[in-house]
Order: sequence, then C-alpha cells, then structure tokens
Amino acid sequence: MKTSFLGMPLLAILLATGCSGPKTTYVDPGSSRLVTTTEGINIQDFSQAADTMVNSLIDQLINPGALRSGAPNQPALLAISRIQNNTGQQLDTDLLVRKIRVALLRTGKVQTSTTIAFGGPEDPLAAEELANNQFFNDRPTRRPDYTLSGKIIEDRTRAGNVRQSAYIFQLALTDVRQGVAVWEDEKTIVKQGSRPTVGF
Amino acid sequence: MNRALNRLAGSLAAAAWLTTGCGSTSVNTLEPAEPTAQRAMVSDHRVLADRSLASAVRVVGVNTATDAAGFLKVQLETYNPSRKRKLFTYRVEWFDAQGMVIHLPTATSIPMSLEARETKFITATAPTPQAKDFRFRFLEPVN
Repeated sequence: MKTSFLGMPLLAILLATGCSGPKTTYVDPGSSRLVTTTEGINIQDFSQAADTMVNSLIDQLINPGALRSGAPNQPALLAISRIQNNTGQQLDTDLLVRKIRVALLRTGKVQTSTTIAFGGPEDPLAAEELANNQFFNDRPTRRPDYTLSGKIIEDRTRAGNVRQSAYIFQLALTDVRQGVAVWEDEKTIVKQGSRPTVGF
Repeated sequence: MNRALNRLAGSLAAAAWLTTGCGSTSVNTLEPAEPTAQRAMVSDHRVLADRSLASAVRVVGVNTATDAAGFLKVQLETYNPSRKRKLFTYRVEWFDAQGMVIHLPTATSIPMSLEARETKFITATAPTPQAKDFRFRFLEPVN
C-alpha cells in the first residue's frame, strides 16, 4: 500500500515532464510553422525574396520574350556577379541566389555558368577542363549573356517595446553586351516583434 | 447588485472595444465604375476547413492569363469583410498537365495581412510553362 502511495506522485511527475519536455520535430521548410525572429534573416525570408524575384523575372523578362541568348536555340547564359551583404549578420548569399538559379533553370530559359563568376569560378575543375578544351580544340568559350548582381540591406528600428527589422533585397540583371540593367527589382521584408516568436 | 453588474458589463465592453479598436483600421477604396481591363475569371473549387479564416479572408474572384512564353499567371482578389485586421499566410502549389506537383526551392508560405474591409490582390506566376494547374492554400499564422 505504502509503495503505491509513493509511486503515484512519481508517475505524475514522469507524465508531466514527458508531455511538456523539450521536443524536436521536423518542419516543412515551406510551411508557416517556422521560427520567425526580428534578430536576423530567417530561411523563409530568403525563400520569399527568391520567389518574388523569380516571379518578377518571369513576368518582366521571360514571359514577354525579352530575354536574349547569344547562342541560337539555347537558353540565355547567366553569370553570378557580386551580391553584397550589407547587413549586420554573417550570411551566405547562396541562400538567396541558389534558389533563384534553380528556379530559373527550371523555366528552361536560363542557365547559369559555374566557370565564370565574380571572385573566381564556382567549379574550378570545370573551369580548368574548359580552358584545356579551348586550348587543344581551339574552340571559343561561350560568354555570359547576363550577369546577376545585388545587395542585401538591413534597417532596424525600435519604438518602446516594439522592435522592427527590415531586410531589403535588391537584384539587377545586366545585359553584358550593352552594360545596361535590363531588369531590376527590390523586395522588402519587414518584421515586428517584442520578442522572438514562432510563426507569421 | 444589478447596477454593479451593469457597470461591470459596460466597462468590459469598453475595454474590449478599446483593445480591438487600437489595432484595427478600415479601408476605403475607389476605382472606376466601368473598368477597362477584362479579366478572364475562372470557376473554382473550395474546401473550407477553417470557417473563421474563410469568413475573414474571402476570395472574391480568380482570374488567369497566359503570355507568349506560356507561363500561367493567376490573380486572386481577396476581401476582408470583418471589422478586424486579419493576418494569414498563403502558399501556391503548381501542377503539370498530368496533375503532378512541381516542386521548387522557392515554394514557401507567404505572410499577408488584410485591414478591415480591405481588398487585396494575390498574384502568382507559374514557375515553368509546364505548369497548367494551381492550388492556393490559406492558413492562420501559427503563434
């Protein structure tokens, strides 16, 4: 009898901690259950910015047929130029650029060069092989038709308890034959909160 | 006793009005009586699992357009008939001619807000010319 009296509170504690204890779950990266903070750029912010940019590129350049390719019957060739991070946080700009590249590749209208890029080739081995191929076969390399450049800017304000962070994503597509930006867009993501929150 | 109860009810109502009144604003709109643009409206199929969200975020109409390159564009007109600002998220899914979903790294839930009596358009462009159908998912923000 005594043992059952002792066992009851122990069982209750075990159940209570079991239910409310720390739990880790997988979350769909496209869902609205992701952690949102005002402290920095969250992954869903990059996805949102990339989605807006791709939609804008399709609407303004690809859909009207304004995208030109240097090689006949081939998709336009894009090279990634400087994407400047002007925020206070250290971030990999590929979180934005790669999403755009993948989405553009899926349109079938744009391909991205991995051998010509700002700061050196993304794939050094491919660049080396390409150089060898040119040297031995005397074949001209295809030059990019467009370059993608941009900037990520941060603006923070605070009024009383409310903290506001704004992240501005600016991108431009330059036609290298003319040196003119043929497409430009900006996406601003503003977040407000008094403390880190989950959700919206 | 009755007077005290009435006072309490009155002050509670005033407090409720003050708290909701602070965060809400209603929107006045103006547009041409006879718009020049002709929208190609499409009939839609709706599954309403969250009635409160559906009543605050009403989809008034859906229209589509396809340009020369074959990318489908969809536009939803949403309206908040309630007296409160409504926060929600939406997500678009695209399907090819065989009804298979097209996966993209940019697919995400997009946050949006509608002030009281506000009308807003949601536009989405198909990621590839192969995308022939779409589905919009609306969700309350998770707090």
